[in-house]
Amino acid sequence: MAVAIVGSGLAALTAKAALADADVHAVVFGDSPDPAATWRRRAQAIRQTHMRSESDGHCGTRTFPGLAVRDAMRRRDLRQLVESVTDRYHPTVELFLEHADEVRRECGWDESFVQARVRRLHPVEGGFEVDERGTFRHVLLAPGHPGLHVPPELADDARVVHAYEPHAYADRVAVVGAGMAAATEWRNANAAGGEVISVRRREPLRRPLNLPRHLFTKRGLATYHRLDVESRVALLRSLSTPSYPPGPQWDIPVRIAAAIPDAADQVICATGFRRGFEHDPLLSALAREHALERANGWLVLDDDATVPALTDAARTLAVSGVHAQWAFPAADTLAGMRYVAHRFARRCRTR
Amino acid sequence: MSYTLRGRLESRLAAVLLPFGVAIALAAALPAWWPVQLAALMIAVGITLDAAVYHPLLRYQPGWFALPLGGLELVLVTALAFAFDVAAPLDAAVAFFAASWLWAQILGHAALPLLRAEYAEDGGELARAGTLAAAGVASAFVLVGGVAWATQPPVVHLHGVVQGPLVLDHEQTLVGGVVRGGIVITADGVTVRGTTTIGGDYGIEVRESHDVRLDRVTVVRAREDGIHARRSGVVIENCNVLAGPGTQGVDVSFAMHEHSEIAGCRVAGGVSGIEVHYTMASIRDNVVVGSGISLTEMSMGSIEDNAADSIYCGDWSLCEIEGNAAASIRVNANSDARVRDNRAGRISASADSILRR
Repeated sequence: MAVAIVGSGLAALTAKAALADADVHAVVFGDSPDPAATWRRRAQAIRQTHMRSESDGHCGTRTFPGLAVRDAMRRRDLRQLVESVTDRYHPTVELFLEHADEVRRECGWDESFVQARVRRLHPVEGGFEVDERGTFRHVLLAPGHPGLHVPPELADDARVVHAYEPHAYADRVAVVGAGMAAATEWRNANAAGGEVISVRRREPLRRPLNLPRHLFTKRGLATYHRLDVESRVALLRSLSTPSYPPGPQWDIPVRIAAAIPDAADQVICATGFRRGFEHDPLLSALAREHALERANGWLVLDDDATVPALTDAARTLAVSGVHAQWAFPAADTLAGMRYVAHRFARRCRTR
Repeated sequence: MSYTLRGRLESRLAAVLLPFGVAIALAAALPAWWPVQLAALMIAVGITLDAAVYHPLLRYQPGWFALPLGGLELVLVTALAFAFDVAAPLDAAVAFFAASWLWAQILGHAALPLLRAEYAEDGGELARAGTLAAAGVASAFVLVGGVAWATQPPVVHLHGVVQGPLVLDHEQTLVGGVVRGGIVITADGVTVRGTTTIGGDYGIEVRESHDVRLDRVTVVRAREDGIHARRSGVVIENCNVLAGPGTQGVDVSFAMHEHSEIAGCRVAGGVSGIEVHYTMASIRDNVVVGSGISLTEMSMGSIEDNAADSIYCGDWSLCEIEGNAAASIRVNANSDARVRDNRAGRISASADSILRR
């Protein structure tokens, strides 16, 4: 059986780990041999110190032992476990990255990795031809976010830097956005002694996770999967509202503005990523060539994140990461990546 | 963790398998039924709460919720154990519950997620293992039920008139019928229900037997006592005794080591209606016509809500005499009694007695 993962980020690592756990060998095609490289660079850029997710937020195949247990054992301290059972545990970025390295070693990532950007996927009898590199029966596409989003009106502004690109802080900083990255940048700029101006179109939501908790659960997903196309699109749109967690550590004194003041020395775009699979060349070509069903910018997938038109009893084409939101609204979280990884591994194991 | 209904039930069943097995082993080793009864109550309470309360109310259950939910289940299991007379020692029962709860936490938070990668995502469902767990618990119930059924004492239905005396020398339940010449009970765990005895030296004699229950028996024309129990633990309920001249209706004696009860009986005739000597006993709701009730010879017990000609507490006995209707109530000088709320023509009591008319 030939299995391929296209992509080399955390979604690909999570899938590779799940496949290794199921004794399924998979080849990984991607840009970077380090699956945490992109994430690490972005976390460093915004000086992220802790994960937003709770103890389930890791790349391992099984939820136990999670990072809280590892942390508690390492420190010989039960506090991490207590925080975990009360949903208040947030591992450090350092611990998470160590864990990602460990998963990478254990799942045989380096041995399976082929440095190559896949440009074309061609369905053939009983599988998919991946560029000229062979035919694979089961393929998981995990291309990651299709680039950083900078509002078009700011594209030519010399003061602009994206939050996920390396940067220092000026004296007067305008932060565009109202999500987790923006809240982090308010803290960073404030700590650097700068005056912080929050440029926002709407009041941000305050919630512990980036989506309501029920959408991470089987019961919640069952309700979500029963929605018709229009309702699902409406829900996914509403879920794109930026949010950051409650708690005094995020209550930074900022001046709120609807537009960027001319007096701002620096404009930090905490505006996340470009939205929609059309921005990804591989997915976009695939959808166009095979007239894949789409709904308002989302690729329509089955509940297990497979592409219905290109998946049958003999072969699988599945999508992981942000482009799998049709199947799992929080697909760009580690829990979402694991959800897709488990279902993909099950198909590979049983077909 | 967010459980589906199936996930809750499967996780519950997987968690109770080991405690149920331990309970069966304990029951065999002791030997006593309480570990199995307790485990069955725990399973019933858990599954009922899972389906009727937890599933509809708890869409998401943080880990720390296990503590208050465990406390709730402990309270319910304890209450039901009392209600169903489960004869479990309290400390052993609480220890068994706590160990089972701890095992369930280890299983739910560590072992099952470790064994099954999709455990959390699937809301606690265990796929084939869940079906196996359900089958395992069901099999254990069938096994235990089968053993319980097989070891139950036989039920003997009497029809018509049987010539006695009938000797009941092993555990059994005797139902109905008329026995001429009386019944003699010499085994523990005997129940006689709805049977009439006619004649005999004693109508029903109980000899050195425990857990004996006489329910709705009728005794007539016995030559001596209607019901005669010696060194036995006996519960006599709703009996009807017609005692002959010079005899006693009910006499329960010489069993200080265990508790006997005489309740809801109607006793007529004889020189004494109900006699208790050197026994711990509760005598309540009886009607004694033409004679009285006596608790004597270092007995300890209560005489409550009876109607009789006389009530007597004597010979170094300790009595609680309350709510009775009697022509006279007498407490011997060397006995102690608390006497209150009775309707009596005359009350005479020792100096140490507490009186309230």
